[in-house]
Amino acid sequence: MTVTVERGGPGDRGGRGSRRGPGSRGGDVVEAHHRAKKPRRPRDSYALFLLPGVLAFFAIIVVPFLMNTGVSFTEWQGVGTPKWTGLANYRELMDDSEFWASFRHSLFMVVAMAAVPTVVGLVLAAALFDFVGKHFGSRTVAVLRACFYLPQVLPIAVAGIVWSWILAPENGSLNEVLKAIGLGGLQQDWLGDPDLALYTVMGVMVWVQIGFPLVVFMAGLQRVDPQLYEAAELDGAGWWRRFWHITLPQIRPEIYVVLLWCTIAALKVFGAVYVLTKGGPGGATNVPSYFSFTTFFEKTQVGYGAAISTVLTVIILVLALAGLKLQTRAEDAEQGGVR
Amino acid sequence: MLTARRHVMAAAAAVVSTTLLLASCGGDSDSGSSDGKTLKLWHYEAPNSAMGVAWKEAIKEFERTHPGVQVKFEEKGFEQIQKTAPMVLNSNDAPDLMEYNKGNATAGHLSQQGLLTDLSPEVTKRGWDKKLSAGVRTTSQYDAKGVMGSGKWYGIPNYAEYTMVFYNKDLFKKYGIAEPKTFDELTAAMDRFVDEGITPLANAGAEYVAQQYLYQLALSKADRAWVDSYELYKGKPDFHDAAWTYGAETFADWVKKGYISEKSTGTKAEDAGVAFIQGKSPILFSGSWWYGRFVAESKVDWGTFLWPGSNMTLGSGGNLWVVPKGAKNKDLAYDFIDITMSKKIQNLLGNNGGVPVAADPAAITDPRSKGLIANFNTLAERDGLAFYPDWPVAGFYDVLVSETQKLITGSTKPDAYLDAVESAYDKGVQAP
Repeated sequence: MTVTVERGGPGDRGGRGSRRGPGSRGGDVVEAHHRAKKPRRPRDSYALFLLPGVLAFFAIIVVPFLMNTGVSFTEWQGVGTPKWTGLANYRELMDDSEFWASFRHSLFMVVAMAAVPTVVGLVLAAALFDFVGKHFGSRTVAVLRACFYLPQVLPIAVAGIVWSWILAPENGSLNEVLKAIGLGGLQQDWLGDPDLALYTVMGVMVWVQIGFPLVVFMAGLQRVDPQLYEAAELDGAGWWRRFWHITLPQIRPEIYVVLLWCTIAALKVFGAVYVLTKGGPGGATNVPSYFSFTTFFEKTQVGYGAAISTVLTVIILVLALAGLKLQTRAEDAEQGGVR
Repeated sequence: MLTARRHVMAAAAAVVSTTLLLASCGGDSDSGSSDGKTLKLWHYEAPNSAMGVAWKEAIKEFERTHPGVQVKFEEKGFEQIQKTAPMVLNSNDAPDLMEYNKGNATAGHLSQQGLLTDLSPEVTKRGWDKKLSAGVRTTSQYDAKGVMGSGKWYGIPNYAEYTMVFYNKDLFKKYGIAEPKTFDELTAAMDRFVDEGITPLANAGAEYVAQQYLYQLALSKADRAWVDSYELYKGKPDFHDAAWTYGAETFADWVKKGYISEKSTGTKAEDAGVAFIQGKSPILFSGSWWYGRFVAESKVDWGTFLWPGSNMTLGSGGNLWVVPKGAKNKDLAYDFIDITMSKKIQNLLGNNGGVPVAADPAAITDPRSKGLIANFNTLAERDGLAFYPDWPVAGFYDVLVSETQKLITGSTKPDAYLDAVESAYDKGVQAP
């Protein structure tokens, strides 16, 4: 007995006769039986697999967020009966100089965690990919990449404590090194000087963050056609021109992703501030998430703390959606250009 | 047919995933049983601390005297309990007995919310009130507004704590300085260290140490009424009175003179303690909670004395045993507290670097511990426990840290410092 199977395209479940398009009036009995029904789309089956994730998303993200928003309209100490106060917490926020200061510090964090690491990561990735790789081999590149990525793997609590030792004013490694090389005049109270602490935390965050863009950009560079670089080199383009005209345009999608991720991470930053400075000295490094935390848990002003975190969440959501829209638009424009 | 099957599958998947989700959200649903066979106990003391050692022995003693009853001990972190206690106590997961922080903003707050059991009948029945001196019991009683010092008993402390001057005998000897007996001798000693290029006082601007120096300076010009007004709201405190002004101005002056490093704003209590342990700082003014650690870790010869020229110093009864309102085995919890108040456990606590509240003085054999307890008794006799500066208002700790940091860096003046502290105090205090 010979069975002939015609191979269908994607989505064909094969084996039962030839593939027919939608609306086809097939001749076999089963198809006749289902003639009146809409054809089954693969999406229907996949929806089932999404269900646990969707439920978890609602239970862990959406419901607590809505509850938190509800609490933000109350005056509450975390136990007992919340007292409805409407928009009072939000009105208080608008006049709270500490809240606005924490948001200003957030912008500094965006510079330290998104802007600087993206720029430096780009240059480093291009240098590792296009220069170090050629001259020193891929193993050297792999080692260097791992070194840059290490701070991303370290728990921030560990990294923060080590940095606080390094930056300690008395007997800290940094000040000791400065003294040893004759630059004792440059010794500072890095985390204790209110004019300096924010910049110091920014420096630590640059160190923490730099590995992420680097790894993403290097992955992106893998898919750039090497012939582009070769052709440019033959035409006499130097390293900078190749970087500017080939590397940058080719990995634009990765740049969008990195900027978006890092900006959101910067707005949410908490651990580093908690471990390094606890928002001090004198509030000089306070950020919204830490401000919300202390208001919520230390001052037990749960309603007010919830209002801070609600505002922060809305800002992050708006930025994330705007970023995604920009990215989609840019990609569409690019694809249009290709066509 | 197929459609029906698909709907059934979808419904089943939804039910299964919801069940799993709820199970995962619910966490440990074992909230202890009320069968009288389990005592669910939480505390956050390190196993090698005086309390850790004493309470471990208390658990053994409890199981010996309660055959068939198992103590289910869960070690928690201080932060963990501090941050989540209100939510936990409001749930079915509350333990039968737990250690909790004393003060208006903590135990007082929970008692006001009706989350703690009123222990008053047990206190009278078991005679715990007879074992606790007036200064120590202040933090055990809270009124209807959650203010300590009077009202019902909501917690029982096993130990006390107080602050003292720890000094490095080796360094004092090296520079020919005698142990200071008066405040002038203390400042003269600090001048001598500054002349030698040594910062005399270990400090931690990022945590409690700095604000405690300032509060102690203010206390040296204060009396019990001043403390009661600030801590217990018995009258309105004047933040620009002689005591507060002296405290803030002297502290700022000490930074200028180099007694306290102007680079200590970012340092933590741990840094200050380690600087003393390593012999880098000749003096640390801090609490008895360091005592056991210094005994265990310090390589230098050190001693202690009470802050000279002051009747009052920071201190209080220790953290409290509290029985959550929803505890299922309250009688077992009371029995356990009773064991921790027994001579045997109190003596053990005293011989391990703690300050017991009901020990037999003759049973304390360790010479250093004898000195520690003798100094506490001196304080208790003169009613010198003045609590802590951050107690009156929830969130006040952060305000004091932040404002004291500004005082160290010179970015605020003493008068402005007192204004800021007053403003936060007034905002936070719900005046009786």
